[in-house]
Amino acid sequence: MLKIRLKSRTRELTVLAALIILIAVFSILDSVYLTPGNMVDIIKMATINGILAIGITFVIITGGIDLSIGCTFAIVIVAVGQLVVEGVPPLLAVLLGAVLGVIMGFFNGLLVTKMNLQPFIATLGTMSAYRGLAYVFTGGWPVLGIPDAYRKTFTTKIMGDIPISILVLFAIAIITHVVLSKTRFGNYIYSVGGNEESAKLSGVNVDRTKIMSYAICGCCAAFAGMIMLANLGTGEPASGQGYELDAIAAAAIGGTRMSGGKGTVLGTLLGALLLAALKIGMIVVGVQSFWQFVVTGIIIVIAAYFETIQDKISTAMFQHRNRTQTAR
Amino acid sequence: MKDAVEFRNISKHFPGVRVLNNVTLSIRKGEVHALLGENGAGKSTLLNILHGVYSEYSGDVFLDGQKVCFRNPHEAIADGKISKVHQETNIIRDMTVGQNVALGYEPRKGAFVNYPELNQTVNQILKRLKCRFRGEDSAAILTAGEMQMVAIAKALFHKANVISLDEPTASLTIPETDALFQIIQELKAAGMTIIYVSHRLEEVFRICDRATILRDGDCVATLEVAETTREEIIRYMVGRNVSAIASRLQERRAQPEKVLEVKHLSCAGKFSDVSFYLRKGEILGFSGLVGAGRTEVMRTVFGADRASGGEVLIHGRPARIRSSQDALRCGIGLLPEERKTQGFNTFFDNTGNIALASLKRFLRLGFVQEDRKLSNCKKFMKTLNINPPRPDFLTRNMSGGNQQKVILAKWLSTDVEILIFDEPTKGVDVAAKAEIYRLLEELVAQGKSVIVVSSELPEVMGISDRIYVMCEGQITAELEPADFKEELLLNYAMGGKDHAEN
Repeated sequence: MLKIRLKSRTRELTVLAALIILIAVFSILDSVYLTPGNMVDIIKMATINGILAIGITFVIITGGIDLSIGCTFAIVIVAVGQLVVEGVPPLLAVLLGAVLGVIMGFFNGLLVTKMNLQPFIATLGTMSAYRGLAYVFTGGWPVLGIPDAYRKTFTTKIMGDIPISILVLFAIAIITHVVLSKTRFGNYIYSVGGNEESAKLSGVNVDRTKIMSYAICGCCAAFAGMIMLANLGTGEPASGQGYELDAIAAAAIGGTRMSGGKGTVLGTLLGALLLAALKIGMIVVGVQSFWQFVVTGIIIVIAAYFETIQDKISTAMFQHRNRTQTAR
Repeated sequence: MKDAVEFRNISKHFPGVRVLNNVTLSIRKGEVHALLGENGAGKSTLLNILHGVYSEYSGDVFLDGQKVCFRNPHEAIADGKISKVHQETNIIRDMTVGQNVALGYEPRKGAFVNYPELNQTVNQILKRLKCRFRGEDSAAILTAGEMQMVAIAKALFHKANVISLDEPTASLTIPETDALFQIIQELKAAGMTIIYVSHRLEEVFRICDRATILRDGDCVATLEVAETTREEIIRYMVGRNVSAIASRLQERRAQPEKVLEVKHLSCAGKFSDVSFYLRKGEILGFSGLVGAGRTEVMRTVFGADRASGGEVLIHGRPARIRSSQDALRCGIGLLPEERKTQGFNTFFDNTGNIALASLKRFLRLGFVQEDRKLSNCKKFMKTLNINPPRPDFLTRNMSGGNQQKVILAKWLSTDVEILIFDEPTKGVDVAAKAEIYRLLEELVAQGKSVIVVSSELPEVMGISDRIYVMCEGQITAELEPADFKEELLLNYAMGGKDHAEN
């Protein structure tokens, strides 16, 4: 049973192995890298991208894409920022922010299902519109003077040096993992991405499954935004630009199939950690920052190539096993 | 005079199946030669050998007395002047007519396509075919008949001497078909050799000179069309003992209660005024030619497509089925025709695919219990004799018959009482076919009701308690077992005259 479980987790194990190797290499290059403080920094760095990436993993598994998450992120930042500045209690503001994210994701889902738009185009449109709304909302200025009471909801450190935001990341990861792997809805997400027509003919409500995936994605983007707001202390309407691409990269490295049907929360989380470990490692050993982009790009391509090789190997293994079985 | 095409002792195997068995056949220059046979008789395989799609076979092919062996379709077109007229679905709608016709063989000027020359050549051909559209027009505006003309223009563009048409009239209207036949006559008069594949016998009598009949990979006869009769051709086509496989072993169990009744169901452009009923414990056959609208009717009953009129009654009560979820609630399951694209999830293993339609049975406190899914899968692997009995294998890696059983298991896992099978034995080998027939009998023995859509006549006659025949979106006949005769069914399926009486 364990063997089967591990086998179906090949992809996550590979990313984990890559992560361990990466950490080992950087530790040899510079001993500072392996300190607990640095490890916490890596996870901290992975928090925002990780949460965004988990959200977009849902959408990608259904066979879609959400380019608007960086802008949902920005809207939530300025909106929640304004709320807390005007004295709304932090927890209520967080709740309202999450609802706002759900609404924006839900709207993306409506465009994709009810208007039957291609996800790329639909969310390209909302990406621009949401960004515009964030600017309109603040008149282009950042929201300043975020009260400490709000910032502390995410930045308070517990158990020594661990900020609450990291716990939020892991809480989201655990909840979404359970939803994706243990619930009927999770099963439906995979079924829609793997073969939409077959899912429909099996009695799966395809539209509802997709809309809910986009809503979850929007909700994740909202949480990422609210953590960013707490970390920075200002609500910048221009923030989050290009974050959707980092999130897609993390999901891809984690083994999420871009045309849908495959992917896990664990893989995506490891993908985000790998990217963060790489960035921090290059800072620690002093690689010029421009090269960091180049290396990140190479990692993404290698990960994608690895995916195709892995597919080939598993097919070959299947055929081999099948032959030996027939021979018996 | 040497024959335009001669096949000598052609045999072709696919893994485990022999599809052509020592076929010897010659096609004269300048004749229209019909290639007839049921689905799976080997017509397409023979054409594919001629066109270079399959280059591995035993036996020889001669063109004008010269032995040839094309390694790919390009060689057949360039060296052999043999062209296949593809069905209209091969037209790329976003390109112009001229681009479609010349695709892959565009005249060039330097590095660029020489469009003036291309369109000039194409327009000459279109003029010869008496087409009203021009090479510069967008292909998107064409009707099905015009697209067929574009496909023929493509063959002429390649200066083909031999062209083959595979079911060219399948989606054409009557005037379009008449125009096509006119062109075929003219091409023949110009000395072109035409191989014509069709299931519609009246067409064969209208335009073909000779007809060769294939049956289970054997060439059973070549007849002069003028000297034969429709009955003789049908006898050659069906003269075999398949009904021994597709037969009922158990007694018939149809009860008078109507579990499903469909009244005046219509779907604009696909079918109209379709009424039928299904009794409890009945195996109801739906016969007809490919494209008669049977699949569309079933998809509409199942809620996968919207009806434009009519109603569906379950146990005598009107049911509003607007989605597949509604159908599931009403106890209707559908096993789609296209297994690979509609039947199962590519990335799911057998356990996942079997559980997909009945997930709520495996929930505990809202969570799906993997062990329950697994034991459900194992149960059906045993009862349906799924081979290899491996829950963790991806369904896409199973053989066709076993994939079909996995999809069947998916529906048996739910508690549906009406199961619609669309071409259940398509692409399934003979042994697995027999097993599927037994399963159908098992289902009705358990009190479920079954609809089988099948284009194979022996199959639908062998297993059905009652048969509806469809043609061009309408039900043309309802037959009781006493009337199960292939000639009769074919006649109704091809829009036979008798249907004027109802």
